Amino acid sequence: MIEFDHVSLSLGTFALRDVCLKIRKGDFYFILGPSGAGKTVLLEGIAGLHSPQSGHVLLRGEDVTGIPPERRQIALVYQDYSLFPHMNVAKNIAFGLKMQKADRHTIERRVEELLRAFDIGGLRDRCPLTLSGGEQQRVAIARALAVEPDILLLDEPFSALDPVSKEKLIEDLREIHRTRDLTIVQVTHAREEAMRLATRVAVIIDGVLVAEDGAEEIFNAPETCELARFVGIENILEGRIVSSSDHVVRVDTGAATIIAVSDLSKGEEVAACFRAEDVTLSLPGSSRSSARNTFEGTITGFTPMGPLMRVSIDCGFSLEATVLRDTVKEMGLSPGSRVSASVKASIIHMTVRTRVIGD
Amino acid sequence: MRTKHRLPDPCLISFSLIGGLIVGLTVLALLNLAVKELSDIPFLISTASDSDVINAIVVTMGAGLNAVLILLIIGTPLAYVLARTDFRGKGVVESLVDIPIMLPHTIAGILVYLLFMRRGLLGAPLYAAGFTFEDAYPGIVIAMLFVSAPYYINSVREGFEKVPVHLENVARTLGATRFQTFMRVVLPLSVRHIFNGSILAWGRAIGEFAAIIMIAYYPFVISTLIYYTFTTSGIKASSAVAFVMILACFAAFIILRLLTRYTGRYDDRV
Repeated sequence: MIEFDHVSLSLGTFALRDVCLKIRKGDFYFILGPSGAGKTVLLEGIAGLHSPQSGHVLLRGEDVTGIPPERRQIALVYQDYSLFPHMNVAKNIAFGLKMQKADRHTIERRVEELLRAFDIGGLRDRCPLTLSGGEQQRVAIARALAVEPDILLLDEPFSALDPVSKEKLIEDLREIHRTRDLTIVQVTHAREEAMRLATRVAVIIDGVLVAEDGAEEIFNAPETCELARFVGIENILEGRIVSSSDHVVRVDTGAATIIAVSDLSKGEEVAACFRAEDVTLSLPGSSRSSARNTFEGTITGFTPMGPLMRVSIDCGFSLEATVLRDTVKEMGLSPGSRVSASVKASIIHMTVRTRVIGD
Repeated sequence: MRTKHRLPDPCLISFSLIGGLIVGLTVLALLNLAVKELSDIPFLISTASDSDVINAIVVTMGAGLNAVLILLIIGTPLAYVLARTDFRGKGVVESLVDIPIMLPHTIAGILVYLLFMRRGLLGAPLYAAGFTFEDAYPGIVIAMLFVSAPYYINSVREGFEKVPVHLENVARTLGATRFQTFMRVVLPLSVRHIFNGSILAWGRAIGEFAAIIMIAYYPFVISTLIYYTFTTSGIKASSAVAFVMILACFAAFIILRLLTRYTGRYDDRV
């Protein structure tokens, strides 16, 4: 559907370097990266708003490198919604259809349909600047869908929304993606959105595409240590494999020995990655568990996270665990408490310590 | 949004007092003239109804308007290019646009005269084609155009720059060509700046004297008439003409401001 063939594109301080990616029809594709990584430039590159210095952009199997945006049939929704302030909601939605020279009846019918679909019928004569963020967002998406594109580009659509509007939008996007046969490409720096919606994910850091894979693989089995850190895996312990037998390895991190399931061989420099929610806490001296890794340590601090509590523990190395708030109360945990933290060997993901893929 | 300060800020008060001097000077000058002129109403009326005075005012304002219309057509595209593109030598183009602001008006007059006189580089072929600039209305328009262009271009450019590029990008992805985007998105959102630029340019144009008399002493613009009256009939006659022009200008500007008070006010955010 969308293909970047060794695309390099620089724009002021932003630059994409030799980016290759393939987005298939029907993907809900996420482009993830820290702020300033060149994500928006990539999105605008797909839309045809910037032409690459080298490489080719292919759309629906055709080379469109030199084709201007108005002939690409790709809709784009910006983070700031970019509604036309001098037109009311209905006129905003009708804009694309007018440009396509649709007749008046078709325009009216489409606009009504979209106003209903997005539950914004009451806003039809309002000016965009009098709308709330969530309302503006829905108008912007309706306007983009009015021209019935098969590709929808979203630039950080959740970043300025309150939690309620955000939930609503996530539901809406799922629905749109499912019912309208759309390929959606969304740029974000927030991982949670990608975890919930993405079918495939690309990670871009400093203009370089560092990883591209299914959402599951990117978030749970990142290929490199840097990627693990970027996708927010809280516990990354670097060390060397000291023994390996029958798919079980022992990793010496200096401060502890970690047992994990892996096919890597002895002597490899690795990092053991596991999420905070995969750590189980118990009071020291309690009954034995099946988890192969148990570390005793002292609680150094708590960070509330909604109904959950992030617990920081000093086990000779620092360890993060996530438990329910109630659990903290029930177990009587407080800073300074001794606890044992256990992690199952099968849940630990091993990455080889290289810098960046392809480097 | 106006805020009321309960405790007067000493800094703001002293700034206002200092700044008030300049306003005071203008008010004093106007009052001084007004009191003198209004003390002889019959003479003022006869001046105001003098056909030479009326003609000069009409020529001045009309030629100014003409210059602004030309600027709307040729200055607007330039302003857009300067607002939206970056190219080698852009600094040079910007300086060239600004040159008339810095040049003494007599020099501007010489530049225009040399180019547009009957034997001038452009004046000669245009004369052959039937257009005369020397001592003619087109000469006034050209001189006014030259001196007022930077005010228009800079103001409109600023307006274009304030239109978020994202709006243009979205319009493009929705199927609008760059020109359609310009006409339907950029232009409507810049109406205020275009209007303000036009007023600035028009004001600058009708105030021009030196550049105009070099190429077109006749027909009289108001400044030429005032200078002529001053040298031939003295200060009383010329100040009466001046006062009539002041009243005409005030009226014109107030009407324009009122007419366009709410034009292009969609977005105070950008």
